[in-house]
Amino acid sequence: MKYFVTVNGRAREVDLVERLGQLEVQVDGRKLELSYEEVDNLGQVAILAAGRSWGVSIEGDEHSVTCSIAGRLYAVEIEDERERAAHAAEREATKGGGVVKSIMPGVVVKLLVKEGEAVEKGQPLLVLEAMKMQNEIGAPGAGVVKALHVREGEAVSSGAKLATLVAQ
Amino acid sequence: MFRRILIANRGEIALRIIRTCREMGVEPVAVFSEVDRRSLHVRMAHSAIPLGGSTPRESYLDAQKVIDAAKASGAEAIHPGYGFLSERAHFARAVVEAGLEWIGPPAEAIDAMGDKITSRRNMTRAGVPVVPGLVDPVDDADKALVEAEAIGYPIALKAAAGGGGKGIRIVRSPAEMPGAFRTASAEAVASFGDGRMYMERYLDEPRHIEVQLLFDKHGQGVHFGERECSIQRRHQKLIEEAPSVVVDDALRARMGEIAVRAGAAVGYQNAGTVEFLYSKGEVYFLEMNTRLQVEHPVTEMVYGVDLVREQLRVASGEKLGYTQADVLARKQGWSMEVRINAEDPFNGFVPSTGVIGNLRAPGGPWVRLDAALYRGMEVSLNYDPMLAKLIVWGPDRVTAIERMKRALAELNVGGVRTSAPAALTVLEDERFVRGEFDTHFLNSVDLAAPRGGEDELVAAAAAIHRHLLARRRALSTGDSTRAAWAARSRARHSAYPPHISDPHSSATPSLGQAQKGASR
Repeated sequence: MKYFVTVNGRAREVDLVERLGQLEVQVDGRKLELSYEEVDNLGQVAILAAGRSWGVSIEGDEHSVTCSIAGRLYAVEIEDERERAAHAAEREATKGGGVVKSIMPGVVVKLLVKEGEAVEKGQPLLVLEAMKMQNEIGAPGAGVVKALHVREGEAVSSGAKLATLVAQ
Repeated sequence: MFRRILIANRGEIALRIIRTCREMGVEPVAVFSEVDRRSLHVRMAHSAIPLGGSTPRESYLDAQKVIDAAKASGAEAIHPGYGFLSERAHFARAVVEAGLEWIGPPAEAIDAMGDKITSRRNMTRAGVPVVPGLVDPVDDADKALVEAEAIGYPIALKAAAGGGGKGIRIVRSPAEMPGAFRTASAEAVASFGDGRMYMERYLDEPRHIEVQLLFDKHGQGVHFGERECSIQRRHQKLIEEAPSVVVDDALRARMGEIAVRAGAAVGYQNAGTVEFLYSKGEVYFLEMNTRLQVEHPVTEMVYGVDLVREQLRVASGEKLGYTQADVLARKQGWSMEVRINAEDPFNGFVPSTGVIGNLRAPGGPWVRLDAALYRGMEVSLNYDPMLAKLIVWGPDRVTAIERMKRALAELNVGGVRTSAPAALTVLEDERFVRGEFDTHFLNSVDLAAPRGGEDELVAAAAAIHRHLLARRRALSTGDSTRAAWAARSRARHSAYPPHISDPHSSATPSLGQAQKGASR
């Protein structure tokens, strides 16, 4: 099975082959001798690889995991071939515009633009308050505000749609 | 000494105070909101009283509920910790009027130091040096623009009633003033109910250095040297240390003398901290925090003192029993503290919420973890994002840094993302190791830049993780299927701020205030 794995923004290809109950691992075409032992069901894993020993923690689902090794954090995205093609098509479709989503839960304190308004890249669209800190959420690119999906005073969760922009 | 005291706080500081109480044979009484029923400070206390409500306003900020709880519990005194009601003079007054002892300074001293403008006036009168700026606050952006011309840019806008970095903005040019004033003032209204802004000159190469004070009720006061807290991000401290690399014995004596004079001028009692800005050999009074500080442990490590014990002692009427020379003779080695916040360093440090899953605490020689973490703990937006404080001691600064790096490598908090990797990045920076930094230091460090270099190992591990997850789901039935679905759902709902995912996506919002941190 081939996986396209993005580790902290860098793309890797991992090939996993199960042979006689043993996993054979190749990363970017190179074979990796690796022993992977789950310690508990919380994500602690004991790994032996290339002469080193690692106490690793892995948390997340099939598509997105957070991995921690020796105090370092690795944000990982995993796609198989089918998912990779679907994501590429989606990116192409929303090129230049698209939906601005909240990257944190919070409360919309103030809307700074109106629907139909033209905005420049980085121009603040609205003010979002989380943990008593106010953050201006900027436009990801130049365009026109097609829709605002939130009202002032509304609580939003992480990943909630804030606004839709159309590229110009 | 008191037989029983009530701790009007939660989280690590409540636990910190409980621990000292236990060691002194004082019975600690906890209070808790509905969402904190299972929390560690409740479980570790002698007794615990529900306040009801889930928001801070309905619970830990409700002065009457806290006082009623203290009366009901038979406590003789209230320790406020930091935050919440700790710096509310009206609360200190109400505690005393209820016939309880207040483990903190007199209400008059809180009043005299609580408002930045009042404190500035008081300190100028006492002959304490202050930063150039306005004595009176301004309430709109146009006035601010006019006043700014007289003070000169860059200018620091601060909430008149502020604290904890909330409602603070740095304005570098007139063009930035309207936007900065709007957000800062709105933040100040939201947090303190007062949108007035205090303006002052932003000093070059400033270092944040503060002096720990302790006064008894008999007019005696000493200082416990300095802490340096220059490693700040958006005015929130990330790493603190004691002593400071720029403070020698002579400067320590001078700063200490000024701090004690400042405290004496307002009739201070109990523990407090005078914050200074250090710029090119000069020190300026910034503000006084009339409570125990988050970073008090580094002082405890260097001076071999339990500051909470000293607080209880002097509040119960005991004399200090030692002189300034006695204190300074105890100074030994170097201590550092790293704050572990529930924030996503890869996403401009936005708050990260979730349920604590993985938890591996560091240990070993001279490592102290002040936390109230436990597996299953829910990290929500209701409370402060600080999850833990990791503190180390070493005979010298370099040893302390190496020890902290070692301890951070051992620490593993899962379920949320934390600021810990960012601290590791700072500790590895040569300028930090050499002691060459100021409060702007973190602007020059790309904390979001991934470091680690174990990409191949991680890629392989992540693929195996997915493979095992899929196989488990396909092969198993019954309980384990449910468990796998539960785990998946938990992962979904623990709401990692997503979308670091896709470097190509143009739809990822940028955080106006966190551009530096978010850029890669």
